[in-house]
Amino acid sequence: MKRLFSVLALVLSISIVLAACGSPAPAEPAPAAPAAPAETAPAPADGDSIHLVYWSMWNNTEPQAQVLEQGIRDFEARNPGVTVEINWAGREIRQTLSPAIDNGMQIDIFDEDTQRVNENWGNYILNLEKYYEESYPTTDGVPYKDVVMPALQSLSRSFSADGGLYTVGYQPFAFIFMYNKDHFADAGIASVPKTWEEFLDACEKLKAAGYTPLTSDNEYISGLFGYHLAKLKGPDFGTDLVNDASGALWDDPAVLEAAKAIEALAANGYFDRNAEGNIWPAGQQDIAIGTVTMYLNGTWLVNEIMGSTGPEFPWGSFNYPAVSGGVSGIEAANYGSQVFAINKDCAHPDKAFELLVHLTTGEWDAKLAQESFGVPVAGTTDWPVQLSEAKAVFESLTTLYPWVAGVESNTDVGPVVRQNVQRLAGGSITAEQFVANCKSGT
Amino acid sequence: MKKSKTMLAVFIAPAVLTFLIAFLYPIIRTVYMSFFALENVTDKMDTWSFVGTENFITLFTQSPLYVQSMSNITRIWLIGGAGVFVTALLFSAILTSGIRFKSFFRAVIYLPNVVSAVAMGTMWVQYVYNPRFGLVSTVLNFLGFKELAQTQLTSPAYVFYALMIAYSFGMVGYFLLIFVAAIDGIPFDYFEAATIEGANFFNRFFSITLPLIAENIRTCIVLWSVAVVNFFAWSMVFSPLQPENGTVSPVVYMYQLVFGSNIMSTVQRNVGVGAAVGVTLSLFVIVIFGATSFIFRKYKVEY
Repeated sequence: MKRLFSVLALVLSISIVLAACGSPAPAEPAPAAPAAPAETAPAPADGDSIHLVYWSMWNNTEPQAQVLEQGIRDFEARNPGVTVEINWAGREIRQTLSPAIDNGMQIDIFDEDTQRVNENWGNYILNLEKYYEESYPTTDGVPYKDVVMPALQSLSRSFSADGGLYTVGYQPFAFIFMYNKDHFADAGIASVPKTWEEFLDACEKLKAAGYTPLTSDNEYISGLFGYHLAKLKGPDFGTDLVNDASGALWDDPAVLEAAKAIEALAANGYFDRNAEGNIWPAGQQDIAIGTVTMYLNGTWLVNEIMGSTGPEFPWGSFNYPAVSGGVSGIEAANYGSQVFAINKDCAHPDKAFELLVHLTTGEWDAKLAQESFGVPVAGTTDWPVQLSEAKAVFESLTTLYPWVAGVESNTDVGPVVRQNVQRLAGGSITAEQFVANCKSGT
Repeated sequence: MKKSKTMLAVFIAPAVLTFLIAFLYPIIRTVYMSFFALENVTDKMDTWSFVGTENFITLFTQSPLYVQSMSNITRIWLIGGAGVFVTALLFSAILTSGIRFKSFFRAVIYLPNVVSAVAMGTMWVQYVYNPRFGLVSTVLNFLGFKELAQTQLTSPAYVFYALMIAYSFGMVGYFLLIFVAAIDGIPFDYFEAATIEGANFFNRFFSITLPLIAENIRTCIVLWSVAVVNFFAWSMVFSPLQPENGTVSPVVYMYQLVFGSNIMSTVQRNVGVGAAVGVTLSLFVIVIFGATSFIFRKYKVEY
């Protein structure tokens, strides 16, 4: 037995030594050489090949991925010697990117939500200020910064640690009411509501015309309360509210007022009867099949339920209405975008940025917007017809609300708020109970 | 025999080595990590800051959502477990009592295990529980319970029970298969002798079947505990983008702390606390394993 152990120990020690020899390098080495710091990388002479690696947040079956791939191949064709390797990581990138970069894999470009890239991955990304100042083949001699939506640039800056510009926005969205224009026309609603009174009037007309005005899903329903509160108290109140350990902010009269507004919607029968129990995407499907008229969601909804609606669906959109006595009106909403970022250790940042410009301007910007029924980045690009009304909303936006106006920004309190908004919308609790329940959950 | 021992070591080494690298190292690292504060799971060790047992204290005193998640899995373990085991034992006793089409019924009951959890969960959430056209509401309407058929089974008031029933339903077949195999292993003479002596179905079940498959029940309790502790997919199907009180499980909570929120990065990550969740869950399983080993220690049988 002793001998068995000694042999086993010997084999193990040999294996461990062998494994240890390789330990500084990653277990799965990069497909190409590990990224070298930009300053030490030799500048490629003409004819030298440049290999870029792009890790994408899209799955290759998604329309965004298909357009991006075509755009990238087009870029390769226009830039001989440049090859771009794509890893369609999908949303798994949230888990896999950091370990991969930390272990020395070459990843030159990656993308995700603006906040995630700038905050969670802020240590990996390159400052892009100087690249924004330059003009490119698809920007008609104008600096890139003057071609793309200014709101996206300020959004990127707002999430970076030093206020710098580290990311390139694309696929912008705004979180607004998406609605069925045919229902509005049938109900005799001439223009989209801009104030809460007009909104209630529209709901009443829809109900009278036999439509169910409003629904939501468990994942988004907090927005109704959050944005109402933000209209009353401004962009930061929701975040302060759920992070106030004393719970005192719940006694602010505006909280009860926002809850009362939702309570009234429920009491008047404006909510779909299943709104309390809808698990995403059940409520969205009710919009798609025409059972319900309005849904507060991102402009991505058009693409998300395209499989059910088809491209002919009469999409309309308007911002969350202004509330009387409130501090912000229809110039404020939650908006954002996906962003590309370049690894600070990328050996060819110039080329990488050129690629990003190629994808977010001109032909490919337009194609991405059309194919994914999304919003284009460059000011000159046409918008998909489904989002024609959203364009006006985007153009009027000057104030940024956080996601659901911050009322879910606390891991522990967010779910309490959400389930109580569900119950409020279902008429199971009163506004006073809502406030009391949320307060006791903080 | 000298040669064969060398061979033995050579053959065992890859498995032992794989275990050490793939399991032991992550286990040690996770336990170690649970005493530190860090933001990224791959952060270099010199950037970790030691916080002692603070992560554990935070979990149990300042994280109502974590406490809720532990309450959820405890209730699933206890209530759901009781339901699953009683149903599986009942069905296995019936299936081994010599009924016709045994294989067919066994296959039907096992079927939910073949379908992916995500597909099954979606079916329950979007179809079975749907108050507009779902199975439950259709059946209730058919039986004349119009009011009851309107119940929103996935609303915050009922969603936990909706989740527990859906999950437990699928797990019955898995344990049924183990119990049927165990009962089939009991020599038939015992039942025959008991029947001749006048024992009825219940006498045979409680006096012969149950004591003789106690060891298997113990194994199943451990398997059930591990499954419940790792409760993730079903929770994600019932609240796909963000955790909710009624459906959150500790693993979902841990996922959120380690990788950030799914819908937006609105939630501060804390990998150290995430690791503490992992350690707590492992302890939970070890305690269950120890307890069942102790309780069932007298029931070892050999035929």
